[in-house]
Amino acid sequence: MEAPPVTVMPVTGGTINMMEYLLQGSVLDQALESLLHRLRGLCDNMEPETFTDHELVYLLKGQQGNPFILRARRSLSHPTAPWHLRYLGQPEVGDKSRHALVRNCVDVAASHSLPEFLNEMGFRMDHEFVANGHIFRKGAMKIVVSKLSRILVPGNTENTERLSLSYLVELSVLAPAGQDTVSEDMRNFAEQLKPLVQLEKIDPSKQRH
Amino acid sequence: MQQREEKQLDASLESLISRVAHVKNALHSFICKLESEYERLTWPSVLDNFALLSGQLNTINKLLKNEKTPSFRNQVIIPLLLSPDRDEDLVKLTEQRVPVFSHEIVPDYLRTKPDPEVEEQEKQLSAEAARIGPDVAQKQIQALNKQCSSLLEKLNNPREDRDAESAAMRQNKPSFNPADTNALVGAVAFGKGLSKCRPPGPAAPGHPGQGPMMSSGPTLQQVTIGVSSGQQAGMGGPVAPPQQGQPGKMPSTIKTNIKSASGSMHPYNR
Repeated sequence: MEAPPVTVMPVTGGTINMMEYLLQGSVLDQALESLLHRLRGLCDNMEPETFTDHELVYLLKGQQGNPFILRARRSLSHPTAPWHLRYLGQPEVGDKSRHALVRNCVDVAASHSLPEFLNEMGFRMDHEFVANGHIFRKGAMKIVVSKLSRILVPGNTENTERLSLSYLVELSVLAPAGQDTVSEDMRNFAEQLKPLVQLEKIDPSKQRH
Repeated sequence: MQQREEKQLDASLESLISRVAHVKNALHSFICKLESEYERLTWPSVLDNFALLSGQLNTINKLLKNEKTPSFRNQVIIPLLLSPDRDEDLVKLTEQRVPVFSHEIVPDYLRTKPDPEVEEQEKQLSAEAARIGPDVAQKQIQALNKQCSSLLEKLNNPREDRDAESAAMRQNKPSFNPADTNALVGAVAFGKGLSKCRPPGPAAPGHPGQGPMMSSGPTLQQVTIGVSSGQQAGMGGPVAPPQQGQPGKMPSTIKTNIKSASGSMHPYNR
């Protein structure tokens, strides 16, 4: 049996083999200020950071099995910044001893020709959205509070409509595989945001329908 | 009658002495702590010590105000014998603080008047009070009372407001909505609720998100993504390369896709 092509080999070693530990929740618009206030108190002392991003989700469908998904993101507030390409693996919910959702994560910076390149590769865009909000950091932890908006006219990021009356709150840490202790820190941090926000590991496959 | 009063006096003196001893011990240990453990001493434990002292002082105050306690103020102490010689018993009794009971120190220890400086200050204050007329004094008292009551009001009211506010926050106003959480998580994970920009199909490659939806191929939302953690190994897991073509085994996501990318689906090969 011949060796599998190089591209089939799992990517290992270096900074590539990283896992993302994730907790998610949401906060109603009217409680946003309280949450930001609390986060400013809890997180590392830094300049308040806001962002407006456009995310395009691309699919590559095979003859069988699941499509391969890549997420391309660009900043609308900094149009000259590089694009960001991200692969996310299947989320693992794990057992009670692990306090966060864990998924494989590969992040790459890309040039502005990324959409054309993906198209040439055979990827097709499935959906897109605009996210704008605030980023906070505490050590390795990243807290993103963002408003999601759907794009009414494809490709036109000016013309958007907000998706819900809440902001999405995500607490994430990037760590090498197997470092489940980070989920402990995340749980402790999430405790401090209660009862304002309930951060949980949410199995996305249950939100599908 | 005389005897009973004397007995009462003895008893109350005894209890006063023991209470004072308690205060003394507490002070002693607190000072020791401050001197030897000041590096590890926490603020709560300092507060505990203060609380202990204030409690003990309170008990002494209560004891002195008790009806059964005879008024110590009416008791007179007369020094019967003064001597310039060192008195070992006295040294022992006072923990080496007072070695002799002499003419020099007795006026200090048995003093019933305040210190001369304090006396001087008191004199000044009474002179001041006598100088201003009763009308002016009355006015000043009223002004002070007014100030105090308005300050008290200010201190009390915001607390009520704040309590009401936080109570409202706790009870009536939830700050998050679980349904919204699910909707948002679904949206970032699969684009649930987001307008679909379906692929225009292989015949019309090019600009993303343009052209009507032609093929009815599976979109992200329609495909069932397996939840089994075995598939997680896809990209990074330190596992062996995926087994090829084992019957009954789901091929891993990545293998399928890479294969399809280099296979018939690839636009270059068409």
